[in-house]
Amino acid sequence: MGNAFLPDLAQIANIRDETRDTKTFALRFLDPARWEAFQYRPGQFAEVSVFGVGEAPFCLASPRDGADAFEITVRAVGAVTEALHALRTGDVVGVRGPLGNGFPFNEVKGKDLLFVAGGIGLPPLRPLIWQVLVEQASFHSIRVLYGARTPSDLVYRDDLERWRGRDDMQLLVTVDVAGEGWTGNVGVVSTLFSKIRIDAPATIAFVCGPPVMIRFVTRDLLNLGLAEESIITTLERHMRCGVGKCNHCLIGDKYVCTDGPVFTYRQIKSMMEPA
Amino acid sequence: MREHAALVITTSDLPTWVGHLLSRSQLIAPQALVGSDVAYDVVSSPDDVRWDYQNSLTPLKRFLFPPSDPMLRWTQTNGRPSAVEPVYDDKERVFLAVRPCDVSAVLILDRSFGRDPEDVQYTRRRQRSALIALACTEPGPNCFCVCANAGPFLDQGYDVQLTRLAHGYLVEVGTEKGASLLSGCESLFDPAPAAALDARQRLAREAENQFGEDKAYFAAALRQVTFNRVSDDLWRGMGELCLGCGGCAFVCPTCHCFATADCTDSGGGCRLRLWDSCLYEAYTLEASGHNPRAERGQRVKARFFHKLSYQFAQKLGAHGCVGCGRCVTACLGSNDMPAVTARIRRGAL
Repeated sequence: MGNAFLPDLAQIANIRDETRDTKTFALRFLDPARWEAFQYRPGQFAEVSVFGVGEAPFCLASPRDGADAFEITVRAVGAVTEALHALRTGDVVGVRGPLGNGFPFNEVKGKDLLFVAGGIGLPPLRPLIWQVLVEQASFHSIRVLYGARTPSDLVYRDDLERWRGRDDMQLLVTVDVAGEGWTGNVGVVSTLFSKIRIDAPATIAFVCGPPVMIRFVTRDLLNLGLAEESIITTLERHMRCGVGKCNHCLIGDKYVCTDGPVFTYRQIKSMMEPA
Repeated sequence: MREHAALVITTSDLPTWVGHLLSRSQLIAPQALVGSDVAYDVVSSPDDVRWDYQNSLTPLKRFLFPPSDPMLRWTQTNGRPSAVEPVYDDKERVFLAVRPCDVSAVLILDRSFGRDPEDVQYTRRRQRSALIALACTEPGPNCFCVCANAGPFLDQGYDVQLTRLAHGYLVEVGTEKGASLLSGCESLFDPAPAAALDARQRLAREAENQFGEDKAYFAAALRQVTFNRVSDDLWRGMGELCLGCGGCAFVCPTCHCFATADCTDSGGGCRLRLWDSCLYEAYTLEASGHNPRAERGQRVKARFFHKLSYQFAQKLGAHGCVGCGRCVTACLGSNDMPAVTARIRRGAL
């Protein structure tokens, strides 16, 4: 019988600075067989241990492609994330996963896909966007709306450049507060809705970001006519065990770690507690 | 001996059997504490076992799900973690003369920890433990197991159930594991005469009749909680009564929320599993400072939703309360199960 609480060791293969407080870590299992078994879908997460400090959940932020490592994007805000930021390439952490349900993929083929990300909300959507682009002909349209507080809070600048250069998708970026040299959009991410044409019945929206951003974006999407089940998001809770045992991430009777973290707005609306 | 056998043992032979159990495994039974208090603990002699008690101050869960429990150990080589090993406790345990409510509670823990993915930390201990219940002929003043369908006598779930008769004990064997607890001592047990079985039925009826009228009326509260019909005002009011001490959760035989903490030593370290309570403010606090259950009333609601809702009863096979009455003693703010269900029923504090 496997022990769901036992992490596997992984080495930090690469560290990339994203913003002043956010880094992306590439993690490679010490045991290659573990990587073979680590098949995941976008939207799932992993519990990452810094031994001696603790464990925290992170979304799997890179597609499961030919690489031999996966990425997590980490903002330094608490004990585990600050300890992660203090580690260097070659250091060893623990990984449990993949955990959680993941985004729908085949179910949304043929649709207009609208990705709406706020700040550190882009990492959960990033592997899905890349997966969709691999099969872009299966989708009617692919649009990414990304907002951050300031230009220096934008993550994945390389990805943004590559997406901007493609003609099979559309990327719109905005910042709340423009700095010097910023010539792009200014305003919260939902101000970008007026810049595109949305065919509500054909659209599936994937929304990720801070709770307040999710609330306003959801309201605007409903006003635009999107169905409740066409608005898909990932919920955040402090998931400690990740396997539906410790009860920390419960919302009513729903475990964010095992029933989610991906939920439709229709599911969220029927929850016994505010999501 | 076989499963489903009904036997009797005399009071004078009982210590011989208990001595035999002691020689085979760790034995946990009710023991006298200071004053009139009794609590389950490891016993070293048949004389330590208290047979005439109402209920243990604390439930069984600390033996199967300890308050601080090592889950894994990592080894450090040249400053880096090099191996991770699970830590298991594979001790054989027999729980003797424990109350039916506590047996019922263990069955709920079994369902929760046993659900996929299985929590092997718990299930390995549980597989190596046996439950010998002592049926309740004199329920305590705070008891309401009868409302929770968890006592005062058990119909199932026990390995062995004992009932005190005039000159000895009726011994009901519920499982193969229970039968094995009698093996080697066959000569101490005789087949139960019809009079002993009649006495059991009569004692069970009499015990049920001793419960007062003003106990926890679950049914009405279950419906209100299941359909989210309890007003936010009422939860807020009960939140104001809650001291956030977690005492109710720690004495509750079915509460099993946990957190983890890492401890380091020279060669590596270990990760501990620690009891936690959903009534603590930091329980849902996120590193960003965001707390989805920032108000005490929301936390009280979450706790009773987990205990009483049909949604969770489906997951756990029963409602998350066995009517042991320990929260009545522990809660300084009167947010115990009978009081809360009464408030929900009348819709006011």
